[in-house]
Amino acid sequence: MSRVVRQVLLLVAKDLRIEARSRQTLGLVVILGLLIVVVLGLGLGAQENVAGFSATAVLWVAYLFAGVLCFEKTMAVERTDGAMAALLLAPIDRGVIYAAKLLTNLALTAAVALVVTPAGVLFFSFDLSASPLVFVLVVGISMVGFAAVGTLFASVVSSSRLQGGLLALMIFPVSLPLVIVSTRLLNRIFRDGQGLDGQTLGILIAFDVIFIATSWIVFDCVLEA
Amino acid sequence: MTAADKPLLPGKLYWLATAGGFVAAVMLAVAWAPTEATMGPVQKIFYLHLPTAINTFLACLLVFIASVGYLWQRKNWWDDLAAAGANVAVLFCSVVLLTGMTWARGAWGQWWTWSPRLTFSLVLWFLYTVYLMIRASIESRQRRAVISAVYAIVAFLDVPLVYLSARLMPDIHPASVALAPAMRVTLACWFVPVTLLCAGLIAIRFQLNRRVSSAKQRKDVRPLSRPAAAGGSL
Repeated sequence: MSRVVRQVLLLVAKDLRIEARSRQTLGLVVILGLLIVVVLGLGLGAQENVAGFSATAVLWVAYLFAGVLCFEKTMAVERTDGAMAALLLAPIDRGVIYAAKLLTNLALTAAVALVVTPAGVLFFSFDLSASPLVFVLVVGISMVGFAAVGTLFASVVSSSRLQGGLLALMIFPVSLPLVIVSTRLLNRIFRDGQGLDGQTLGILIAFDVIFIATSWIVFDCVLEA
Repeated sequence: MTAADKPLLPGKLYWLATAGGFVAAVMLAVAWAPTEATMGPVQKIFYLHLPTAINTFLACLLVFIASVGYLWQRKNWWDDLAAAGANVAVLFCSVVLLTGMTWARGAWGQWWTWSPRLTFSLVLWFLYTVYLMIRASIESRQRRAVISAVYAIVAFLDVPLVYLSARLMPDIHPASVALAPAMRVTLACWFVPVTLLCAGLIAIRFQLNRRVSSAKQRKDVRPLSRPAAAGGSL
């Protein structure tokens, strides 16, 4: 077991090191996320304090687009210099590759969220003070499911040299339950002042479990040098 | 022996029975079933709406089973079956959405509300339309089969989650409808031709897909290796 963990960490470290040295993805994605927040904020009239305005929805749009870009880039790294062939030749389970890519994607999306969320909080005076930990918990659990689906589809799209637009097309409809549940949950907590609903949170957890398990099983079939 | 060789195509008698079923069902709905008290004649859309919705789910289930089958056995005909199912699922889901919207306009006074079942049907439509888009954008036969199978499995597992999450929205859609006995008989009569149509369309589409793939294989593969090509080895 510890060997598997070591292999996963090795691959994650490799991906993060590449990202730290090339700085290709994160800068681009963070700015894109900020732009989306600003454009939507202006478009929806956040400055006029429109009734029913939902900062969480705006944040989610930013997470979704930024996330898709992250997933795409993490897999695209493997396309250069025949890295994917080398990765597939390495004596490791395909599931380990999936887990490593998932963790890398989670790290990147967390980094994006770390910049985009405060921007949303600032721009829309979105009050998180009621329970910031609950916000982190709900968004975190949703992100795991989102990244699980995204990592699987990104590897599919990347290994078949398809156009980028297709990835968003695949991920968005599948991730809709996450968006619906977490915006409902966050609106209920931060706008209506209600508590955390365990049953609703259960849907998010079920999403995570189902799609991590499925991806783990079918990941064998999708990777190709 | 491939599935293409089996006589699967529904014959004239089948389509005659389906058409006859539709005529009988329409006549029952128009002339025999009582008009609903509050909604009026627009409620009669229901007889088409519900059977179509249930057949949509059956078609989605077929896509899922065929996709699992493909990943399991790597036989091309599973992939053709999944594609046929998805085509019909999207068609039927469109009918569900359109009939539902017309009915909503008549009963609630607006074309669309974000109530759970409407949202659910819309997301379902998106999931399977994207499936068709994915298929259309991949050239390689094997890659297309694998990728669409993976997507179809994820999409189908997503369906109950979409349903659960959509339930968080305020609902005005009836969960169960109290039906007069005559209405129930009419509804049952509608199920027959709609299901026949669904199965018939899937069979036609499946046969067409089989022919297209074997024609392509004949073009790609040298004549000597033709008999072995139909198995769909990787």
